[in-house]
Amino acid sequence: MRTLLLGAVIAALLHITPTVIMVKRQDAVAHLLPGADQFAARELHLSSGDSKKLHDAVGWEPPDGVVTFYVGKHGDQTMGALIFMRVDCQHGPIELAIGYDQKGEVRGVEVTKATVEMKPWILEALRAGLTNSYNGMAITQAPSGAEKVKPQIGAMPGYMAELVDKGVMHANAAYRLFYR
Amino acid sequence: MLYDLRHSDLRVRWLVTLLLATLGTSYLFGAWMVGLYAGFSPQKVGETYGPSGEAPMVMQMPPETTMVTERPVSMAEMGEEQHHVDLNLLVQDTHVHMPMYAVIAAALSVIVLGLALPRGLGLGLIALLFAAPWLDFAGMWLTKCVSPSFAILTLAGGWAMALGYTIVAALATYQMWWRKPGPHPLTSSPRRGEGERNLRSGDSTP
Repeated sequence: MRTLLLGAVIAALLHITPTVIMVKRQDAVAHLLPGADQFAARELHLSSGDSKKLHDAVGWEPPDGVVTFYVGKHGDQTMGALIFMRVDCQHGPIELAIGYDQKGEVRGVEVTKATVEMKPWILEALRAGLTNSYNGMAITQAPSGAEKVKPQIGAMPGYMAELVDKGVMHANAAYRLFYR
Repeated sequence: MLYDLRHSDLRVRWLVTLLLATLGTSYLFGAWMVGLYAGFSPQKVGETYGPSGEAPMVMQMPPETTMVTERPVSMAEMGEEQHHVDLNLLVQDTHVHMPMYAVIAAALSVIVLGLALPRGLGLGLIALLFAAPWLDFAGMWLTKCVSPSFAILTLAGGWAMALGYTIVAALATYQMWWRKPGPHPLTSSPRRGEGERNLRSGDSTP
């Protein structure tokens, strides 16, 4: 019986907590592609060579070989692009929305999904201004949001900030290499 | 019989009842979640766990050169996420859920041990409780690695889980709270006191 109880406790501890919506995708789109009223999904089915190029650049490639950008337009004018990027860690996945303006700079970053366990850590990092540091950054620049907020926050929020940096880095590399 | 739920202490019956109620509630939410993220048809399950996450067998091999397609989407479509379980997530899901399923099957099996059932039926019920999660995950892995038609196994596993739980919950509730208890099977015997003596000595032969 003791083994059974211990097993239940261990299983409960190992269980990844459910996903929570931090920001609705629609709200993230409205915020990151302001003024756009028409949208298109631009899907890039990467060749092996391009997947390798992406992997060599940032140590990541999309698991299904497809990168999807959402392009926002108003009339004939392109207002920008957006990509949803997932980052996994042992506490579960987080999802980011990374928006780009017409000049190809980062317009903003939103954390759209996390897990129940990660939510308070992410909120602490966001309150410290994590995503502000990405606004207007060039896509060739290495994201440094975590470095800026780490002195003001705890260890786990700092780790979450590193994950967000990583997601932004992946998205920027995909945009830089393949978005036309 | 290792123990008899019909004659067990009120606290044991209360514990079992609450355990069954809690598991039943979690199963209901589990079914709801399956409906939200995977669906109840083999086709939906195949799309969720299949190799590409898109229509089966489409674009599984990377193209020779990167292909770009563009199609108009609505704001609502961008909000809807096609839930797809890729290989990494399936590894994580299996690692996380298999121990929990084992604990649940074991807890229900402990309840089965306390039910007044023929030995063969008890064995069959315990086998069903453990077979269900195996079918569930075998289906997911075979759908991922072999063919989307194995999604049917995952559905069978889910229904087997529901069936096993329903049988155990119904029998346990009936035997604990409604069925008039007969003579205690662990203490009664044709000759008064013999059963008790046998139990004390550990001798089970007549």
